[in-house]
Amino acid sequence: MMTSETDEVLRALLRGAEPSRRLAERVAAEVRRRAARASRAVAPRLDLAASSRGIVSVRLGRGLTTAEGPRARAVADAAREQLRQYLAGERAFFDVPVDLSAVPPFQRAVLRSAASIPFGTVRSYAWIAAQAGKARAVRAAGTALGHNPVPLLVPCHRVVRSDGALGGYIFGTSLKERLLGLEHETPLYVGSSSTRIVCLHGCPHERRIGADRRVVFASIADARSVGYRPCKVCGSRPVSRSRERA
Amino acid sequence: MSAVEPTDASLLQAIARGRTDAFTDLVRRYDRRFYAIARRMLGRDADAEDAVQLTFLHVLERAGAYDPAWKGSTWLYRVLTNVCIDAWRRRRLDEPVAATRAAAVHAPRTAERIDVERALARLPAEARIILLCCYVGGLSYGEIARVRGISVNTVKTQLGRAKRQMRHHLEERS
Repeated sequence: MMTSETDEVLRALLRGAEPSRRLAERVAAEVRRRAARASRAVAPRLDLAASSRGIVSVRLGRGLTTAEGPRARAVADAAREQLRQYLAGERAFFDVPVDLSAVPPFQRAVLRSAASIPFGTVRSYAWIAAQAGKARAVRAAGTALGHNPVPLLVPCHRVVRSDGALGGYIFGTSLKERLLGLEHETPLYVGSSSTRIVCLHGCPHERRIGADRRVVFASIADARSVGYRPCKVCGSRPVSRSRERA
Repeated sequence: MSAVEPTDASLLQAIARGRTDAFTDLVRRYDRRFYAIARRMLGRDADAEDAVQLTFLHVLERAGAYDPAWKGSTWLYRVLTNVCIDAWRRRRLDEPVAATRAAAVHAPRTAERIDVERALARLPAEARIILLCCYVGGLSYGEIARVRGISVNTVKTQLGRAKRQMRHHLEERS
């Protein structure tokens, strides 16, 4: 097949995807819905507790911090700032340690499975149970997630029911819905068209990328395929996973 | 009534000043073009509509940062491709069960369409979006380079490779 022939075949085959007539109406309705909602969305106030090994608990509260010693205090401060950025859509990963040493083994396995769910995606309770090594213990997995001591840092909000329903959430289902919506709209890999370096969203280097230079990638491999390289600060770290010290 | 259509750039500047009629005009001008790319990139009607909606919301939020040094359409396609690429990242990582169930409710399509979609789905995301910008969006090599933050040479290499792969996949099936 000659190149010009291929060009024509491709043009013909790729034509003909039509949106539903309601697409423009849907956009307009969503703009109105967001304008109405914007004034109501308030970031939750969180109480944090930290040990010298990591964050021990995250709870809805009055913004208090419980931490003994400079190391625990530093971890708590870092976590509070990263949580603020995450809730503002400015960050797609956490790199503060969590301390799950007081958590029983099955629950710890469940939380580890939840921690492996990629940013912006969801998994079912059945998947979590299977990953934790007890495929039939779906209800127990749900209970273990319901008692997650470190919500947000271990993203139990990314677990939903197999039938597509939202399922419960320790901080309430309306926050769960908001978090999933936020992650749905927040990219993970952001490259700079001037430096040709790709970062995780929220890396200090990524925050310096100007609006016109931001290019989103689907993976580090994709970015490499067009001449970008991973950032040395964030690029080699596993994503969406708080470091765990058990 | 003026016979001259406002440029994309002037629509974006009007949107930045809070003109909702300009936003409506821009949506009307681009919804089909954006959808054509998103649909071929993501393979599902619902995902494509979702991506186009999100693109327009980003445009509305970010029009204030639009720099007229950019050609309006190039700036808009940057927003669209960024949204589509991230939507693809999430899609690819979906739980296998959920993905199969969603695929099963597809409306029937012609064998040829299905072949094209399969061949497209086998291209790496970056090659696919570049191919779609070229053949569906009708963008020039220079525009695609600016949209994806890469060099014109990389655009050509990616396109050449994507076309060879598409031809190979389509011939394999026929």
